[in-house]
Amino acid sequence: MEKIGDAASNVAREYLTFRLDREEYGIDILKVQEIRGYESPTRIANAPSFIKGVVNLRGTIVPIVDMRLKFNCDKAVYDSFTVVIILNLRQRIVGIVVDSVSDVMGLAPENLRAAPDIESVIDSDSVLGLGSLGDRMLILLDIEKLMSGVDMGLVTEPC
Amino acid sequence: MAEMHHETGSSGADFDLSQFYQIFFEEAGENLDLMEQMLLNLNLETADDEELNGIFRCAHSVKGGAATFGFSDVAELTHQMESLLDRLRRHELRPTSVMVDVLLESADASRSLLARHQSGDEGTAPPTADLVGRIRKLVSGDTAPAPAPAPASVSAPVKVETVPVEVQQTEAKSRNQVAAVNVLRTLKVVISRLDHVERADAIEELFRDIAGLGVIKSQACNEANTRVFQVETTSSNEDLLDLFAFHVSREQVVIQETVASSEITDDTGGDASEGNIAGANGPGLDVAHASSTLQAPGFGFFDGAPGAPGAPDASDAGIAAVVAAAPTSEDGLPKSSRSGTKSAGAANSQPEAATIRVAISKVDQLINLVGELVITQAMLAQNSRALDPAVYQQLLTGLTDLDRNTRDLQESVMSIRMIPMSIVFSRFPRMLRDLAGKLGKKVDFLTLGEATELDKGLVEKITDPLTHLVRNSCDHGIEMPSDRVLAGKPETGTITLSAAHQGGSIVIEVRDDGRGMSRERILAKARERGLDVSDQMQDSEVWQLIFAPGFSTAEVVTDVSGRGVGMDVVKRNIASLNGTVEIDSKEGFGMKVSVRLPLTLAIMDGMSVGVGSEVYILPLSSVVESFQVKSEAVSTVGQGAQLVKVRDEFMPVIELEKVFQVPRFNTDKTSDIMVVIEAEGSRVVLLVDELLGQQQVVVKNLESNYRKVPNVSGATILGDGKVALILDTGALVRRSRH
Repeated sequence: MEKIGDAASNVAREYLTFRLDREEYGIDILKVQEIRGYESPTRIANAPSFIKGVVNLRGTIVPIVDMRLKFNCDKAVYDSFTVVIILNLRQRIVGIVVDSVSDVMGLAPENLRAAPDIESVIDSDSVLGLGSLGDRMLILLDIEKLMSGVDMGLVTEPC
Repeated sequence: MAEMHHETGSSGADFDLSQFYQIFFEEAGENLDLMEQMLLNLNLETADDEELNGIFRCAHSVKGGAATFGFSDVAELTHQMESLLDRLRRHELRPTSVMVDVLLESADASRSLLARHQSGDEGTAPPTADLVGRIRKLVSGDTAPAPAPAPASVSAPVKVETVPVEVQQTEAKSRNQVAAVNVLRTLKVVISRLDHVERADAIEELFRDIAGLGVIKSQACNEANTRVFQVETTSSNEDLLDLFAFHVSREQVVIQETVASSEITDDTGGDASEGNIAGANGPGLDVAHASSTLQAPGFGFFDGAPGAPGAPDASDAGIAAVVAAAPTSEDGLPKSSRSGTKSAGAANSQPEAATIRVAISKVDQLINLVGELVITQAMLAQNSRALDPAVYQQLLTGLTDLDRNTRDLQESVMSIRMIPMSIVFSRFPRMLRDLAGKLGKKVDFLTLGEATELDKGLVEKITDPLTHLVRNSCDHGIEMPSDRVLAGKPETGTITLSAAHQGGSIVIEVRDDGRGMSRERILAKARERGLDVSDQMQDSEVWQLIFAPGFSTAEVVTDVSGRGVGMDVVKRNIASLNGTVEIDSKEGFGMKVSVRLPLTLAIMDGMSVGVGSEVYILPLSSVVESFQVKSEAVSTVGQGAQLVKVRDEFMPVIELEKVFQVPRFNTDKTSDIMVVIEAEGSRVVLLVDELLGQQQVVVKNLESNYRKVPNVSGATILGDGKVALILDTGALVRRSRH
């Protein structure tokens, strides 16, 4: 309840929505730095499979996480439509691979629902809540918490 | 006492500190500006510790620098400011506007003193005695209101009353800047109606105590309760009265000007001096004229002098006369404002700003951008290779030019970060002098190769390890003078610090001609500590033992060194900079510690190797050789570990393919090129598919956005824009040991 309260306190926050397989997710637009096409990264040995490697983003070395692999999607294809969302989280830059980016939408507090306690690959702490838009359901992620978790393998210690 | 032939400072030794003057002037200027800003923003009611500490730090820095460079007048003034600020920040005094005003004035005075030093002006220093006295009074907690200022003075109360806006204050100051003429005057000071005649004698002491105030001579006087002094000073009457107020009341003092010997020391230009000489004694208008010709028209001199001439309490006719006659010299203190400093600078042939201080982040950004440009250029060069030179001749010529220009640009940009080693070396003479004094040793300090340039980031990190090494040399290396004589060596020991470029690295050596290290003692100590040693060990291996944590052969633990903490830290710090430490020593003859460092952390010479479809970079500094081998040359030990024989030496083989789990699409192919690398004193052989070439690579940090990757020290961007990982050769070597 508290989490949804946080989200609701700021009236009509804006979310960038993206698709992973058939699920639709939303993340705080303010965390997004840019959106790019997928380019094959440099593999890093002994990294978890969902960390595709690192790319050169105008001179900065940026790790790339494939959310589809992280969230156990059935297939993860890399084609000209595959999109990388570059996130800026607490001065760290991370890219996430998603199937497609839908749009940016503002969600009014009345459209937000608390996430029910369900078991999933996503740590429930990282889910802010659910956004309900007509018959669409949006999974709102606390992307910062999600990416800084130890199991993400991006940081050695949780921030 | 130690003799430090190379000791620096104003004592006129052969080591020249003047090369650092410019930096000091810049920093002092910044500190004074900052202090002024903070003082101006200071809310007297709610001043918090942070603000007061900040102001204190500024004064402290200026004082420290001034004292180091031998600018005693600035040091003296800032010392007084510091005392006042110290009491303020310890809440022993409450900040008042009077204090702020005095501090601001002092800051101005310091600035003009510094400007004088900077321009190399040999003339008489502007007097600061008045300010020093006033600050002292404030420090002592005297809360009596500040004496009313002389009319032309921009002393604080006037500023506050009449020009509330800061910009105008500066303007007012610059107006009066011209008025800041230092006139050496001979005065007759009569102190009468004294209850205790001895009190007047204290005034003589004042002149003795305050440097630059002037000369005082007691003169014969017939009256019992009166004293007469002849005073030569550049201070104004008002300043003198303020000072005397410590001992005698103002009403008892009469100051008369006896001889009007004027000496113009302000360097605002010859034009003004003529006018000023006339004006110092004559009607004030002349001075006004002189100053207005110097300054821009419309800088009417008297606009800036509010209030009627004649200080309220300067009722004595003698004083009034002087005040009226030379209003401009009343405030003997030059209020250096920016315009004042500028005009001094313009007269000087030296350019005002030979250097600029830029945030290091900006430089780094520039380096990044140039790195990008180099990559783009490399990409263009690669893509244009297939073009027909006959058809695209112009384009190709352009690309060649671009190639040259980017390289030049990269070199120049990289050189921005490079600073000479003298910045590091300069701190040692003083440290050694104190240390040698404390230990009762005699030490000469020599430096070589101070002009050798090193990346700023490295300079900062190398300072502490070097300090430790130098201290060690002085404490453990150099013997006591008597022991040295007994050993047939000159009484004075020598510590030499040198820096030189060697290939892609810089070698810094700390050498002393002291007692050296005793192989036996180190070995004995090592056994005592349970280390695995044998008498057959080579010297170089024995010396490396002193880098073990907690290792010390010192018989006595002094407060300088001997606790065994340090050499391991030194080694670790240097290793973290991709550097190495080597020791050479001979008992009885001294010791040499060589520190080898890469020139910069940002750029490295790399060798790119291919494994499967991936590219890795090896630091060229650790590559020894490479050759092709047949698989039968590799022998295995105990099922797994592979060894290869290279010129009678068996070396462990590391297959990069396995270490980095490189996927293989062409399963027939196996790595057959061996690269011998050396790190941390050991050699291993890396097995790779191909050698791709050597190039300079810009080292990027993986950890800024990702985390530490085993066996990888960083990443770089290749010509095609791809990221390649740089191998951590030290980690690979360590890996083979386990």
